[in-house]
Amino acid sequence: MRIRTSLSLGVAIIGAIALIGKTSAAEASPPASIAFSRDILPLLSDNCFTCHGPDEQARKAKLRLDTREGAFGKGKSGEFALVAKDSGHSEVIRRLTTSDPDDVMPPPKSKRRLTPAQVELIRNWIDQGAFWGRHWAYEPPLRPPVPPTAGEIRNPIDAFVQARLAKEGLNASPEAPRATLIRRMTLDLTGLPPTPNEVSEFLNDSSLDAYDRLADRLLASPRYGERMAWEWLEAARYADSNGYQGDSERTMWPWRDWVVDAFNRNLPFDQFTLWQIAGDRLPQATLEQRLATGFLRNHMINGEGGRISEENRIDYLFDQAETVATVWLGATFNCTRCHDHKYDPYTQRDYYGLLAFFNQTAIDGSGGNPQAPPNLALPSPEQTRRLADFDGKLESGVRATELFEAGKFAREPGKPIEEAAAAKDLPKEVLDLLKIEPRDRDVGRLEKLAAHWKDSDPAYVRVIEENRKTRNDRDGVTRSVLRVMVMEDMPKPRLTYILNRGNYLKPGAEAGMAVPASLSTGNTDSRSNRLDLAQWLIAPENPLTARVTVNRFWQTFFGMGLVKTTEDFGVQGEKPVNPELLDWLATEFIATGWDVKRLVRLMVTSAAYRQSSKVTPALFERDPENRLLARGPRFRMTSWMIRDAALAEAGLLTEQMGGAPMKPYQPTGVWEEATFGNKRYEQDHGAALYRRSLYVFWRRIIGPTMFFDVASRQTCTVKTPRTNVPLHALLTLNDTAYVEAARGLAQRVLRSSARDTERLSLACRGVLGRPPTADEQRILTHGLERHRRNFASDPAAAARLLEIGETPRDAGLDPGEHAAWTVLCSTLLNLDEALTKE
Amino acid sequence: MTPLHERRLQLTRREFLGRSGTGLGLASLTGLLDPKRLMAAPVARVGMTRLPGLPHLAPKAKRAIYLFQNGAPTHVDLFDYKPKLQQLHGKPVPDDYIAGKRFSTMTGKADGKLLLAPVEPFHQHGRSGAWVSEFLPHTARIADELCFVKSLHTDAVNHAPGISLMLSGAQIPGRPTLGAWLTYGLGSDAENLPSFVVMTSVSKGTTCGQIFYDFYWGSGFLPSRYQGVKFRGSGEPVLYLGDPAGISRTTRRAMLDDLAELNDLKLREHGDPEIATRIAQYEMAFRMQTSVPELADISREPASVLDLYGPSVKEQGTFAYNCLMARRLIERGVRCVQVMHAGWDQHRSLTTELYTQCRDTDQPSAGLVADLKQRGLLDDTLVIWGGEFGRTPFIQGNLDDRKFWGRDHHPYAFTSWLAGGGVKAGLTYGETDDLGMNVVRDPVHVHDFQATLLHLLGIDHERLTYRFQGRDFRLTDVHGKVVHDLIS
Repeated sequence: MRIRTSLSLGVAIIGAIALIGKTSAAEASPPASIAFSRDILPLLSDNCFTCHGPDEQARKAKLRLDTREGAFGKGKSGEFALVAKDSGHSEVIRRLTTSDPDDVMPPPKSKRRLTPAQVELIRNWIDQGAFWGRHWAYEPPLRPPVPPTAGEIRNPIDAFVQARLAKEGLNASPEAPRATLIRRMTLDLTGLPPTPNEVSEFLNDSSLDAYDRLADRLLASPRYGERMAWEWLEAARYADSNGYQGDSERTMWPWRDWVVDAFNRNLPFDQFTLWQIAGDRLPQATLEQRLATGFLRNHMINGEGGRISEENRIDYLFDQAETVATVWLGATFNCTRCHDHKYDPYTQRDYYGLLAFFNQTAIDGSGGNPQAPPNLALPSPEQTRRLADFDGKLESGVRATELFEAGKFAREPGKPIEEAAAAKDLPKEVLDLLKIEPRDRDVGRLEKLAAHWKDSDPAYVRVIEENRKTRNDRDGVTRSVLRVMVMEDMPKPRLTYILNRGNYLKPGAEAGMAVPASLSTGNTDSRSNRLDLAQWLIAPENPLTARVTVNRFWQTFFGMGLVKTTEDFGVQGEKPVNPELLDWLATEFIATGWDVKRLVRLMVTSAAYRQSSKVTPALFERDPENRLLARGPRFRMTSWMIRDAALAEAGLLTEQMGGAPMKPYQPTGVWEEATFGNKRYEQDHGAALYRRSLYVFWRRIIGPTMFFDVASRQTCTVKTPRTNVPLHALLTLNDTAYVEAARGLAQRVLRSSARDTERLSLACRGVLGRPPTADEQRILTHGLERHRRNFASDPAAAARLLEIGETPRDAGLDPGEHAAWTVLCSTLLNLDEALTKE
Repeated sequence: MTPLHERRLQLTRREFLGRSGTGLGLASLTGLLDPKRLMAAPVARVGMTRLPGLPHLAPKAKRAIYLFQNGAPTHVDLFDYKPKLQQLHGKPVPDDYIAGKRFSTMTGKADGKLLLAPVEPFHQHGRSGAWVSEFLPHTARIADELCFVKSLHTDAVNHAPGISLMLSGAQIPGRPTLGAWLTYGLGSDAENLPSFVVMTSVSKGTTCGQIFYDFYWGSGFLPSRYQGVKFRGSGEPVLYLGDPAGISRTTRRAMLDDLAELNDLKLREHGDPEIATRIAQYEMAFRMQTSVPELADISREPASVLDLYGPSVKEQGTFAYNCLMARRLIERGVRCVQVMHAGWDQHRSLTTELYTQCRDTDQPSAGLVADLKQRGLLDDTLVIWGGEFGRTPFIQGNLDDRKFWGRDHHPYAFTSWLAGGGVKAGLTYGETDDLGMNVVRDPVHVHDFQATLLHLLGIDHERLTYRFQGRDFRLTDVHGKVVHDLIS
């Protein structure tokens, strides 16, 4: 026994060393007391749940360790897996430590193994009483008290951040220079850089609330909605084509414009949710509320020949259920398509219960119609007027027909038409057409009738022809009316079944509409349509929606969520780096009526956000990803933001909001090669070329080439990668749009002043939000002189360079000079600082 | 992997150290090399580094070339010779061959479908006596170099899910593909080129409408730098590769020198190592501007080599050209080349377009193997040839209308061949029934095939994993058994 004690002591020491060794910034301090959800559950989940977790099919020895009842019950072997305060009698410990290969857990072939330190942690936890709990994310957030703090705080966010830093023995960084701050916040809130004038106004504004007023100005800008829409479109897998072979173009962009508008109007997030999940089911649903449900219809549509409609239909439902689960619940629901979740308390029944809410439309999955009903017609005022005109014309045409036919086929009242003398010898096909009420005769029917009487009754044919023409024209207008796919349930509910391994051919037990049982609160029986689902998502007691949502906004501005796994709040997801802050934000969000602008303002006006982003090697080593926020956020801008910024800096940006997507410069042949020539890329011209990236046409099978590290828009994506590869450099150095932007910026600065220093200063202020330092000025001026010499010796090269891009250039500018400045401006646009939100 | 470790792998700071001697105009960056300012990261090779612990086992192959035949080549007309199919030509499929099987909607139920004899005669070739039909004379000639796997079977009946399963281990798009896994696990030896390159082609005049989806070479949830870089079939192989008109190499160099110096100032002032990576990547971009055109310049290839690949080898965008590029790429350290040729979907064109398909792929495929062999590269290069499933032994179309004979999708059996990289040359592995309908001996599921490919490259398919959404994912999902009998 004594040997055992000293052994385990030794193990504990080694364990402690091991723990320190693997310490990363986010978990630097060893736990004072063991917390189940933080320390034990992940170990059980990683090592045991595959066979002893929620998945009933996979469960071994009838033992489950994911519930209190299971873990403290008697196992098949007659032993108790866990005995509180008595690790010596807990079978779990014996199994973890035995050397018997038949008994040891996890089994050798699983290739999983706990470290001695981990075993020791479990042993200590048992001996401390084996306190059980639930995974943190499934308990509703409780509003934590704002911790007291000695440092500078601007709002409660800072108190939480600083409390965490204090625990790590770290200090916050000083505030960033004001020029950095205005650029940082303007990029974050509008996706565009501040103009030199905006920068100087801010620098000269010495009032105490200058920064807060800047935030208010930016939040009120229409550019704000355009900026905030991007991530939502990625989550909503918005695109302008169906995907798959054929990849037909769709017209979902009115939905996209609605998203921009909703952000700009600051539609509260609960309403934003309600409308998109179930706007059509709201009492007296407005057009706008029905339009919002297009969210659910943004999935890919498969028009490939040979596909089975029902298989397609089920695929679309999978996509809808999984998208909603990811966006609102941070749940990896795709796992439960085929079986109960291996780690989280979601069952396969939960999956099909959620899917059942969406399984009520008349969509049948056939064909590849990019406007598959139910859809919402959105005629323009002009189209509405023309349709009304046609309706009037059609009405008189129908009356004329009735009148004419009453004479032509005169018969006793009440008698069928075949009794008319003139109808006696008519072929059956013609007779059948005549039996159709004149108002129901479509173009094809009218053509056949006209053909029959072509030679025998020109007067009758004139009447028919008149109708045919009106109808034909009207059909043309109807076809050109925009249609957005939306949600609309059939009157009679469709039954949903659990599909064995997700196979549409293998339906099992029926699954009624239900929210995940383990998260369900309140009366579960009454959930009978999408509105119930939406209301459950935004219920204050829902533990996930607010947390998952504030975490996504945090990710947008700070570069990484408080929970890094934005898409997974389950047991295998990352635990929040600052759980109190996350819960405070979540409860604050709910308490303030899901006010998005208020939440965003809170984040960007915090001292944490306003810190300098400078980093020392020691701090970088300690916290490479800046999880603790001992410095401000600094990361490369998204590729769409880089493009928009370059256009703005060059003075090229077109500010037109909304409308049909546009096609900017793209190397030739990209669509053609990917589609064997079926899709031709017809680039736009004029102002459309310079519209914001949000409006770029998104073809699903071959996305726009001018973006990188963006979602593919094929399935829901709530986190995109941030890579740093040579292909990005090639794009911003060589793409027509960027060369043209450099030329535009050069033209701007050349016109602004005759002196190089002033020109250089203006160029830097435009791109970086600050004048150049002395060193930078030296390097750039030196470079400029070289470029001048190069172009002076090769004027043809200057001319060729200046021809790039479709905006005409100011012919009054000296070509050699303009070309040299274009190269200099291209250098500026490619600076790390220019590509980075600092 | 811890975030720090992950971060370190991403960092190109060591790339920086590794290439400081060759820095172009980077004299000003020596400040970077002050060890006190650097993290204690190990100095490793340039490019993407291999994961610690890899390879798991002694690799037979160091790199792979996948000659992927999109659309599903007809195994019963090319490799899987069945005399009984000849005898029963025009007779209905016996029930017991198709009971309970699912085909594409074009076939629907297979009951009563008529069997179709192979279109061209078969012969045995080489010392191994492997069966190859007259459709593929060049492949037949190198039969002794090849290892035919005749017992492949899959779960998918449609192209995109089938190809996705074959290349990523899952029918639904979004998982990392073989090339991404290889690069992630084994790193890159290419100094001036991406480590996973993809090229696509289709025969001229083919009616095929299949799309090359980018998820066929995607990195899924692996970091995107592991994604295949698709070289284009026309114009510049890499988008935005060429300098804009009017920008000479001298101007570009001068500009990049300034850029590097300015970025270095920023790095010193600010300390974010991402800036060092950016400087390095701009330099890599500059080098690619030279290395990629150099790669594509085949003017110094002798005629005797070009002839191996057949007449269309000089034409950019053809399968032959891509096969030659594949060789040039692996010579430059690229880990995985995926050459894809579409158009094998003979629903109604067995007697017409199938000839074109074979004409355009047969000689280049065989030529590549021969070329690798004559250079001594075949020993440690794994070449894989095959599609996503097979084609039905019964006809699609009308028996009387020979011009439109076709075969439908067939997931229950198909053939692929392997060459080089530690596979048994001259082996025919696995067997189907006497109609080529179902596997009857040594079945090889897609996941088994993948496990075997990884094994040949020194990777234990169960140990090359990546954690995503709380689960350790791998190429073979939760399946896969290495087929040791294929390995020499």
